[in-house]
Amino acid sequence: MAFTISALIFFASRLSPIDPINAMVPPDMASDSANLEQLREELGLNDHIILQYLTWLKNIATGEFGYSLQSGQKISEILALRMPATLELVLSALVLSTILALTLGLFAGAKKGGIADKLSRILGVVGIAIPDFFIGLVLLNLFAFRVEWLPTGNRVAPGQVTFWDRFPNLILPVATLTIAMLAVLIRYTRNSVLDTLNRDFVKTARSKGVPEWRVLYSHVFRNSLGPVMVLLAFRLPLLVGGSILVETVFQWPGIGTTIIAAVTASDYPVIMVVSMIIAMVILVASFLVDIIKSILDPRVRLGGGN
Amino acid sequence: MQKKKQDQQSTARIFVRNLLHNPSAVIGLTIISIMILCAVFAVQIAGVEPDYIDPIEGRQGPSWDHLMGTDQLGRDMLSRVLSGGRQSIYVGVIASFLANLIGTVLGATAGYLGGKIDAVVMRVSELVMTFPQLILVLIFVSLLGQGINNVIIVFALTGWMTTFRLVRGEFFSLREEAFVEADRAFGFSKPRIIFRHILPNTMSPIVVAFTINIAIFIIAEAGLSFLGLGVPVTTPTWGNLLTAAQNPVVVDEYWWLWVFPAMSIAIFVLGVNFVGDGLRDVLDPRHKSLIAKNKWKVVLVGRLGRKK
Repeated sequence: MAFTISALIFFASRLSPIDPINAMVPPDMASDSANLEQLREELGLNDHIILQYLTWLKNIATGEFGYSLQSGQKISEILALRMPATLELVLSALVLSTILALTLGLFAGAKKGGIADKLSRILGVVGIAIPDFFIGLVLLNLFAFRVEWLPTGNRVAPGQVTFWDRFPNLILPVATLTIAMLAVLIRYTRNSVLDTLNRDFVKTARSKGVPEWRVLYSHVFRNSLGPVMVLLAFRLPLLVGGSILVETVFQWPGIGTTIIAAVTASDYPVIMVVSMIIAMVILVASFLVDIIKSILDPRVRLGGGN
Repeated sequence: MQKKKQDQQSTARIFVRNLLHNPSAVIGLTIISIMILCAVFAVQIAGVEPDYIDPIEGRQGPSWDHLMGTDQLGRDMLSRVLSGGRQSIYVGVIASFLANLIGTVLGATAGYLGGKIDAVVMRVSELVMTFPQLILVLIFVSLLGQGINNVIIVFALTGWMTTFRLVRGEFFSLREEAFVEADRAFGFSKPRIIFRHILPNTMSPIVVAFTINIAIFIIAEAGLSFLGLGVPVTTPTWGNLLTAAQNPVVVDEYWWLWVFPAMSIAIFVLGVNFVGDGLRDVLDPRHKSLIAKNKWKVVLVGRLGRKK
């Protein structure tokens, strides 16, 4: 699987009409075709395409990601610089949205027609219809420009050293991403809780006289976690990919803004490495999904239940 | 033959009636039709061409002359927002149609044949589904280049999985049905069984997926154009109008330049989702709906009527 993806990424990038040499060499040097040919030879661009693919694969596997066409920086250095920013942003939003969605979804499902239910239904409908960067723009306008409580973007301002110094910078992007992630997650949780409530074992528990909060917590909640966990695992690739739109709105120096810069500049080495890493995380995530399913539901143990 | 035609007519009538009795479908349809009409007659409603430049009137807030204000070149925002809807809705509908086409053909084939083909397509769909959509779209755009048709192609290539899964699921259960077995016994060809006999039975999930995809693609177009990588800036779309908000000064002081296009997107998508929910209620018998009850009523009334 990993090989198929890597081959797809590699050959797709070769399909593009852009010659990497043109992007690397300044125009005034490009007139000397002998120099260009020598450079081509040195970079291995004249080798057979299969050989090129294998070299690239070997380099990726050994952590040699190559250089950015745009800035000439090492891609591994760019990633090391940008990855923590994205992790910080996405991880906080994932944790926050999960906690909120599970609580709200549980209450909504438990008491159909109650306040939590109405709230979560409105959030579910409206949250899906509104583009996430628009939420970001509104928050930015209100809290950063109108009342000037929070900074307008960026991760660190000059003079900020500790985490708590730059904490205000984190609030708006995380809030935006959380709201954007919340809508679908709440819908999922609510439906899953409703499904579980109709199951027989809940009736059994109730008829045994188990207190309602215990029924909700230890019977319903745990059994309705399955689909929610699967959805969460599918969101893991965001951890390395970042949210392009939210990062752009808040000028967050993460992977998302790196991708945008790379795409606008046709910086292929960067796009290839980033998409390769995302693909790997996806494979890990889908493996995790299988494990989660088997933990939560003993009926689908790996290997078909011996 | 005539009886069959009558039956078909009455199911269509029941469908329309149920849809018109479904509150969310009615609200959604109203929103969508009003917005499409506004988009078509944008110039007449606003009274100005979307590209008409009036340098004296630049960057004015909403007023009676310009209900949504003007942009930095003095172009009327009402006219731009309304006509922006044309391209956005066009992209959403065509891309959703193509994505559905891909998803249906793949889902039908994989679902009916099963086995290796199914496993491969399923794997691919999982992969495309988990890859963050926008990043995938961006990679494609960087390969194909910008342009309205490329955006549509990219959306179709990255958005067929929902339909594929639904259709495949339906085919899995339908291929065991007696009428399919009868088809096989008659020796009908596989394409004929798949596309002429089973496919018509899976129309309801396809229709629902079609509406949901329109909503998703319109939002995706907005995001892509906001980043400046979607439809070329010369054509106003809702997303292209939002590009103005890349500038912090615009976010701060000229709110009407981005609030109105974004609101149009939100309202239209809301309408499409309402229609989708309504359609699901009406078409999917698993969601409790009126169709079963009414079918009996119609049959009964028909019988009684005939006796007289």
